Amino acid sequence: MSISKKIVLLGHFGVGKSSLIRRFVENTFSDDYKVTIGVHILKKSVQIDGTDLSMIIWDIEGNEKVQKTRNSYLMGTAGYIYVFDASRPSTYESINEDLTYLKGLLPNVPMHLVGNKVDLIDLPELKKILTKKNIDCKYFASAKTGDNVETIFESLGKQLI
Amino acid sequence: MNASDKLEILKELLLTDERKYAESITKKLEVLEETVNKRNKLLPKVEPIIDDKLEEFVEDIPKTLGPTITAALKEEIANSQDAVVEALFPIMGRMIKRYVQHEMQLLQENITEQINSRFTIKGIKRRLKAKSAGVSEAELMLIEQGASKLHQLFVIEKGSGIIKASLTKDNTIDHDMIAGMLTAIKSFVEDAFQSGEQELQQIQYDLYTIHIQNFSQYYIAVVLSGIFDTKTQGKLEDLLLNFAQHKINKTDLTNQQEFSNKLKAYFTNEYI
Repeated sequence: MSISKKIVLLGHFGVGKSSLIRRFVENTFSDDYKVTIGVHILKKSVQIDGTDLSMIIWDIEGNEKVQKTRNSYLMGTAGYIYVFDASRPSTYESINEDLTYLKGLLPNVPMHLVGNKVDLIDLPELKKILTKKNIDCKYFASAKTGDNVETIFESLGKQLI
Repeated sequence: MNASDKLEILKELLLTDERKYAESITKKLEVLEETVNKRNKLLPKVEPIIDDKLEEFVEDIPKTLGPTITAALKEEIANSQDAVVEALFPIMGRMIKRYVQHEMQLLQENITEQINSRFTIKGIKRRLKAKSAGVSEAELMLIEQGASKLHQLFVIEKGSGIIKASLTKDNTIDHDMIAGMLTAIKSFVEDAFQSGEQELQQIQYDLYTIHIQNFSQYYIAVVLSGIFDTKTQGKLEDLLLNFAQHKINKTDLTNQQEFSNKLKAYFTNEYI
C-alpha cells in the first residue's frame, strides 16, 4: 500500500526547520543560514510497517509568532512538527501558547514538539528548564549531527498510517 | 695602556647595549633595503595587499562607477539613436532571422509528421473532420499547429496539495513536488489578495499556460502550450466539468493509479 501525507514544520525563524528537513531528506547539513521565503516543499518516501509513505514536507517560513503563519499553508495537514532552538530560550518561551493556538487550528492532527540544536547545549539542564516551564517535550535532535532526526520523522509517520 | 685604550675599554663596558641595539637596527635596515630593492623579495609582501585592494575596487565599481556609466550610456544612446540602430541591426536582424527559420523548420517538421500520419486513425479522423466541416485537410493541419496542446494534467487535493492523479506527456520533476508548489502558490495568491471565495484560475509563463479548474475537494491543473483563447478555455472547462461529473467517483480519490489510468483513457486527444 502506498499513501501520501502532508507534513508541516513550524517554529520561529532560525530554529533549524530547513536544516532538519535537509538532514532527513538529503542527509546533509550546511552551516550557511538561508532564510526560507514563503514555503519550500520537499518529499521523502519511507516504508513504515509495510506501507510506502510519501511524506510531502512543507517547510514554512519562520515567524516570531506562530499566529502569523498563513492558515492556507496549514490546510490539509496530516501531521506537524513544532521546532524550537534549544540554545535560544526566546524560541521556546511561548511554546504552550503557540501549541494551544495550533491545536485549535489543527484539531486531532498528530504533532511532535522538537528541540533542535542540542549539540550546543547541556541537555539535562534544558530538560530541567522545560519542566519548570511546564513544557512537555519528548523529542530532542541535532540537524548538525543528525541525532534523532530520522526517528522523529518516522515516529510521526507511524501516527499517520 | 694609554688614555685612548682606556677610553675604548670604558666605551666597551658602558655602551655594549647601545652597540648591540645599533647593530640590530643596521641589520633590520639592510633586510628592509634588500626587500624594497629586490623585486622577488618585495612581491610576496606587496602582492596580497594589491590583490585585496583590487578586489575591493572591483566590488565597488557597481556602487561608485555604475550610476555614472549607466547615465553616460543612456545619454550616449539617446543622442545617437541612429548609430545604435545601425550597430544593432545586423545582430538583431540575424537573431530574428534565425528564430524565424527555426520556427519555420519546426512547423515544417510538424506538418510533415501530420502528412505521414494520414493513414493512421488520427489522420483518417482529420480527413473526415475536414470533409464534414467543408475545409481542406491542409487548413485543419495548420489550425492544429496553433491549437492548444495538452502537456500535463494534475488532479490535486485542495489544501494539502496531495496529488490524486496525473497525466503527463513530458518528463518533468516529481509530480508530488509540482502539486505541492502549485497549491502553495495558489494558497499564497488567494490569501495575499484577500480574495474571499475567489480562486486562482490561471498562471501564464512564456509559451505555456496553466489552467486551474476548482472543484469542492480538489482542483485540476492543466499545462498547455499554444493559443489558449476564450473559446479554447471554454472548451477545456466543459471537458473537465464533464470528466468531473461523469467519470470521477469517490473511490478514485483514494487510488492514484486507477484514477491516472482513467485520465489517460479520457484525455486521448493531445489538442484541445
